[in-house]
Amino acid sequence: MLSSIAEKTYWLSRYIERIENTSRLINVNSDLLLDIPHDESNDLKHLIKITGHFDDFKKSNSKENVFFFLIEDEKNPSSIKYSIEMAKMNSRYLLTMLPKSAWEQFNNLYSDFNNGAVKRNSEDLYQIIRNSQRFFAIISDGMQRNDVFNFIKLGRFIERADMLSRIIEDQILRKETHVNKYYQNLQWSSVLRSINGYESFKTINKENLNQEVVLGFMIMEKLFPRSLKYCVDKLVEVQKFLPQSTNIKKITKSLLRNLEKNNVYKYDKKILKHLDNFQFGLIKLDKEINERFFSY
Amino acid sequence: MNNKTKENKLFDEYLNNKRLPRQGFVNAYNYFSKLTPSKKRFLTKTRDSIIRSMGVTFRVYDNNKLIDRDWPLDLIPRIIKEKEWIQVKEGLIQRIKAVNLFIHDVYHKQEFLNKNPILKSLILESPNYLKECSGIIPKNKIWANISGTDLIKDHQGNFFVLEDNLRVPSGVAYMLENRNVMKKVVTDLFNKYQVSPVDDYTSQLYTCLSNASYSKEKNKTIVILSPGVFNSAYFEHAYLAQQMGVDLVESSDLFLSKDNYVCLKTINGQKKVDVIYRRVNDNFLDPEVWEKDSVLGVPGIIKSWKERKIAIVNAPGSGVADDKAVYAFVPKMIEFFLGEKSKLKQVKTYLCAFEKDKQYVLENISKLVLKPVNESGGYGILIGPGATKKELSQYKLKIQSNPRNFVAQPLIKLSTTPTLIKTSIQPRHIDLRPFILSGNKTFVTNGGLTRVALKKGSTIVNSSQGGGSKDTWIVN
Repeated sequence: MLSSIAEKTYWLSRYIERIENTSRLINVNSDLLLDIPHDESNDLKHLIKITGHFDDFKKSNSKENVFFFLIEDEKNPSSIKYSIEMAKMNSRYLLTMLPKSAWEQFNNLYSDFNNGAVKRNSEDLYQIIRNSQRFFAIISDGMQRNDVFNFIKLGRFIERADMLSRIIEDQILRKETHVNKYYQNLQWSSVLRSINGYESFKTINKENLNQEVVLGFMIMEKLFPRSLKYCVDKLVEVQKFLPQSTNIKKITKSLLRNLEKNNVYKYDKKILKHLDNFQFGLIKLDKEINERFFSY
Repeated sequence: MNNKTKENKLFDEYLNNKRLPRQGFVNAYNYFSKLTPSKKRFLTKTRDSIIRSMGVTFRVYDNNKLIDRDWPLDLIPRIIKEKEWIQVKEGLIQRIKAVNLFIHDVYHKQEFLNKNPILKSLILESPNYLKECSGIIPKNKIWANISGTDLIKDHQGNFFVLEDNLRVPSGVAYMLENRNVMKKVVTDLFNKYQVSPVDDYTSQLYTCLSNASYSKEKNKTIVILSPGVFNSAYFEHAYLAQQMGVDLVESSDLFLSKDNYVCLKTINGQKKVDVIYRRVNDNFLDPEVWEKDSVLGVPGIIKSWKERKIAIVNAPGSGVADDKAVYAFVPKMIEFFLGEKSKLKQVKTYLCAFEKDKQYVLENISKLVLKPVNESGGYGILIGPGATKKELSQYKLKIQSNPRNFVAQPLIKLSTTPTLIKTSIQPRHIDLRPFILSGNKTFVTNGGLTRVALKKGSTIVNSSQGGGSKDTWIVN
């Protein structure tokens, strides 16, 4: 497989996963706003912190401004709009690489977003989520397990792990600002919803919904597709089908160790440090993939 | 038809002078003329949705914005009888053989040029003559492996060669897709004719490319080099790559190894390339040799080519024969190199480089079609009979200031064929571009891409300028 095609596939997948994750994040938080008293919720800026471009946000943190920045602002590299445009650019090269139906589905995603109203409601965001889910469903269900498939998987689970670990980090930091315990729990259930995990969580933990169990679920639940453990397992799995790289193997192993050994879900001061290390590991992994496969 | 006498002078491929369908065209003509308007609309709609779902598009720049338009296909096929086609085919094979020998001669002994000193001086000045190619021997001495000759029919229904496209002719993907669409939309009509298939083109192309390789290895690495996704023919580049199962690459995918082999960058490391089917023009191919700023080519590729480590298709320098001045000499070439008479007719061409021709052209400009020599895609053409006085006098100035740059031809009244315009059937002008592959054997497509000028009375068939296309049926 051509390096350039591998790189475009990897990024197409990352951007589509990012589009979905960002939409989920916004939707859950706008739901949450309706439940929390005003003074508890007025800081939506944390959403921008999660997505990583805090310094570029110059406006007041009204709901409208924050959502515009995250959804529509094409100058913001973490906005949905930006990700969609980048995905489109990468997709142009993959015309003959993706199953036809996946290609068509991506075009639907693109045109649905661009035909949508500028002021989005949560239904619009659900539509984006559904569209990207459909895209990945076509890939998972009907695509030949070739290199293109493997790079889609690689990009998807790195992106997902990255976003998940940011959400967890953000929630831990936010918790310290919430005084009322009741709202803390509300916050955790909304996080679970944002990763589509509330129902799954409930089947395992019927009684408790507190930070420790939620973190345990989000980090270590190996059967749930939006846990860190699950993502890293997938990264291990996909490597069997890619050209060998000892460095990539090493980094993935250390990610796994980071999760397993440190028992990070037991909340203590160290958890933030572990999460930092985890994210740093993902960055190293991305860099290594780039050097090994794309631009050696 | 507001001007009956004028219409009568045109040759309609379906209808004779009495407006009755010719022999062999009855079934097709009746099929379309008996359709009700609502059935016509239904077929058109079906066609549109198939084209859209197959993603057959072409790219145009509109106000500097890149737009992908759905490929325009007219549902009424262009029909050519096999008996007639066999002769055209032989003529095309003869012509491309002579042209290839001519190109080889230009870059070696120049025997033909020495016999034709005016041509020689024109060639040596031509931007398409690349002195760096002198002495190179491509595999089988074939320079233009892939060509797309434009043919037209005149008012008597005779085929004429209009242009030899030897650089990077495009359109073949549309020829193939037209057939695929037609099979789905007018299935019944196929039952009434024995239509020659076209779909083996891509396997023939693969063989042709493989034949061009210097490498003795059995499995050759062949790639298509595209200028990139913003190129107007990108759809075709991607289509051909996919149909042949080869990689579609851009310059950034390729590099030169230390021992001057052209290599691909893959996730498994570097991989040696044997043949490049390039859809990039000569002057952008190698920034070390031609355009220094080119980002579309591969630095050092010409070095590798000279060492016979990579085959480039078509060979750089082939464009020297893709020139409207050289065109005028093709019948002579056929006599010189093959000792034969040209089997195909071609349009009388006045070279303004000749003083006598220039005078004639200036005096008769309003009767002629004027063409700049090194343009393609229908750009810069002036059709004398349709031009205003101002346009004609401006063109005269252009000719006088640079006669070498212009040729002129009498206006050939292109044949017409019935075409579906909304729900009515009207005659429209057409041409034909068959594709010829020269490898160990020479292959000509069954038919080719018929292009049609959709505007009433227009003869401009280029899709970038409002032209459409038809499926071409070679029928038994």
